[in-house]
Amino acid sequence: MSWGNCYFYYRCPSCGKRFKYATDMISVFGDDFGRCPDCHEPCTPEREGAIIPEDALYPEVED
Amino acid sequence: MAKKTIITVATTGAWPKKENNPNVPMTPAEISEDVYACWKAGAAVAHLHMRDDEGNGTMNKDKFAETVSLLRKNHPDCDVILNLTTSGDLYATDETRQIHLKEIKPEMGSYDCGSMNWMHSALFINSPAFLEELGKNMQEWGVKPEIEAFDPGMIANAAYYLKKGVLKAPLHFQFCMGCANGIPGSMKNLIFMKETMESLCPGSTWSCFGVGHSAMEMLYGAVALGGHIRVGMEDNVMYSKGKLADSNVKFVDRAARVIREYGNEVATPAEAREILGLNK
Repeated sequence: MSWGNCYFYYRCPSCGKRFKYATDMISVFGDDFGRCPDCHEPCTPEREGAIIPEDALYPEVED
Repeated sequence: MAKKTIITVATTGAWPKKENNPNVPMTPAEISEDVYACWKAGAAVAHLHMRDDEGNGTMNKDKFAETVSLLRKNHPDCDVILNLTTSGDLYATDETRQIHLKEIKPEMGSYDCGSMNWMHSALFINSPAFLEELGKNMQEWGVKPEIEAFDPGMIANAAYYLKKGVLKAPLHFQFCMGCANGIPGSMKNLIFMKETMESLCPGSTWSCFGVGHSAMEMLYGAVALGGHIRVGMEDNVMYSKGKLADSNVKFVDRAARVIREYGNEVATPAEAREILGLNK
């Protein structure tokens, strides 16, 4: 039984950018996991899940 | 002689819905036709989940029976090995998780060898009492367990049940790599799973799949390390970055290409039965 990877969905408190990180990439990003890709602010996830209905609004941060 | 690699297709799973990918087969008719198409493309094993009329995962035995019946009636030439899930609904009872195995008697069924926090949001319970009962019943019903291991501890648990007589050698493992709260999908971890299996349950066969970002790494890794592979929309609704899968057949086609490019051959169902010891 399986289903997709889990995402953390963010909105940067500094610049308002929306983005997401896949939790199976924690080891790849290390301390950068959860940081805004634009202003590099460390952020707290506002939502989580496999793929939420608004998924497309949150571009994935790639390594 | 070239090594034979078994392709398992996991067509549906318990979670992805049409809104995640409109090509996920959901009904007995859709699933049975999809299995047939995947078998023609090279899948020797079909791992099946069922959905209720709202699209939620269900262990309704009638749905399993209808799907298997449609496949056999409409495609009598299809000799695919059926592997029915025992974990298609987190809220199913111990009884409803296995009654379909007793009635349909597929050649294989899944055996999730431990409990875990599912997607960080729910409990995926496989209690000792359930695993002991299920293991004994599967032996009695002639259903070979596919040991789904989401982390190395589940391999150790399988070794415990092997020594206890609940499971019977040779075992067949499905390494579930990269699932949320399971072992992350990487080559290093796949090698560790394989070596753990070889030390605790020597003589076992194994397959694996990678969820999400690790899908391709696990596909190539399985072939390179001498394992078998599982693909399908149960594990990935995306075919590649940003591209939804058109069909399960596309996954099977890609797996078959990788196997052949590597120098192996895609195992037929008859060859898979031999490898998995299903004829004994």
